[in-house]
Amino acid sequence: MTSSQEWGAQLTTHLIEAGVEAEEAHKLAGDFLAEAQDAGQDPVGLYGPAMAYASTIAQTIRTATAAIAPLDRVRGPVVLRLSRVTKRYRRRTVLRGVDLTLRGGEVAAVVGANGSGKSTLLNICAGATRATSGTVERAPRVGYAPQQHGVSPLLTAAEHFRLFGAVHGMNGRKSLAIGTHLSQQLGWRPRPDVIAAHLSGGTQQKLNVVLSELNRPDLILLDEPYQGFDQDSYLDFWDQVFKWRDAGAGVLVVTHLLHDLERVDHLLELPRVDES
Amino acid sequence: MTLLTVAVTSLRELSRRRVALLFVFVLPLVFYLVRIDVPWQALRFLALGVGWAIATLALFSHVAARRLDQRLSVIGASPTALFFGRQLAIISTGLVVAGIYFVLVAVTQDVPRLPAVALLLVTTVLIAAPLGAVVSLVVPRELEGALALLSIMALQLLVDPDGTAAKLLPLWSTRELSAYAIEPVGATYLHQGLAHFAITLVVCILIAWAASILRLRPVRLDAPDEYQDATPLNTHDAGPDGANGRLRV
Repeated sequence: MTSSQEWGAQLTTHLIEAGVEAEEAHKLAGDFLAEAQDAGQDPVGLYGPAMAYASTIAQTIRTATAAIAPLDRVRGPVVLRLSRVTKRYRRRTVLRGVDLTLRGGEVAAVVGANGSGKSTLLNICAGATRATSGTVERAPRVGYAPQQHGVSPLLTAAEHFRLFGAVHGMNGRKSLAIGTHLSQQLGWRPRPDVIAAHLSGGTQQKLNVVLSELNRPDLILLDEPYQGFDQDSYLDFWDQVFKWRDAGAGVLVVTHLLHDLERVDHLLELPRVDES
Repeated sequence: MTLLTVAVTSLRELSRRRVALLFVFVLPLVFYLVRIDVPWQALRFLALGVGWAIATLALFSHVAARRLDQRLSVIGASPTALFFGRQLAIISTGLVVAGIYFVLVAVTQDVPRLPAVALLLVTTVLIAAPLGAVVSLVVPRELEGALALLSIMALQLLVDPDGTAAKLLPLWSTRELSAYAIEPVGATYLHQGLAHFAITLVVCILIAWAASILRLRPVRLDAPDEYQDATPLNTHDAGPDGANGRLRV
């Protein structure tokens, strides 16, 4: 195998791993090799390393796809309403008087310093933690991605899809098809024999996010889900958030990063209550 | 459906803890070999070894799954299905261990009532699985839970089995059933052992099940009024074959 052919094979592999369909990946690799040959150059010299170039191409394809087919934005019914929500652990107040109304088709970002109760608020919205006072109303069909321990380290992605799918009443085949499709939207093609413990931190988080969306929920709750993401995956993630929004879901994202916040509909900044 | 899926998934998780599984098999063997010169003690120690190993496996399995199970219950999984699904996986593993050691006893000992050995090992596994779950729910940390189990098993080994206090321990029935299997005693031992087993099993399952529901059951949240009045709308890219229902007022 010549160095050009080897580069082409690597490019194809990395494109497929980044979520590009196999047929399209082969076609693209062939086109790039032909272009390099026409230019009389080695593809490594012309395009750079196959892995980096595959990442750039995959990102471009996803962005272009989103631009070609923009979805109508739908403002739906209220999917989450928090009224004067307070949480105390013994004498320590973590949240005080939090109000928020989130509709389908809207994105809310919850920001605040460490210890300001962001994760506690998300858990209250999910129903995993009980508020001390105030009222919480939310849509029953919810997707929930906690910050940690949201996946089992000893299960593969496919086994996760089947387990979560069974909770939603799906059969194994359907769960696997939907999970794989959603993974590809985040630029990841799950391998059948790799358990979560052997995935990188960023890929584990992608699995975490995909599991939260498996049942097409009306409300998606995400707790800093992009930790470990590289720059491309981070952009893919926010693209995905806005796709969910455009499709009519309400999305609540806990974050400590300030990028992209100008695009959200609600910004809920939590102070450290003990210090306020 | 969820219960079976949870059971199958748990079995897969357990099968990937290879070193832990190795010790689950080795621990009863060590207990058995250390007393092999005294048949009734060897049998009782073997049963306690199986019980300890399976209870520890149950403890670690339930503690490790706690956060994931909480997530699953938030999205609609039944805490009962999650609890019994994981128990089913542990009991299945325990029965395999019991089967292997039953064959070992049959080959290495001249036991007058061999079926009673099978009964002894199966009842031990059936108690150990919910016992480990009870400890995991009362002491929800691996190290502390393992130490709590160690305390229970040490008591079980050291306490005078004829004393009243011994009957309060979860595996007292192993003494009665091992005696019935090996010694020329009447059916009273069998009946007492089975009665103790039945009571312990029911108590352990009820406590573990109730504690599991209390820990996993999500807070009941009402839907907003506007949401309840809404009608379905499909606008999402539902993927390969996924039906989708969004809502529009």
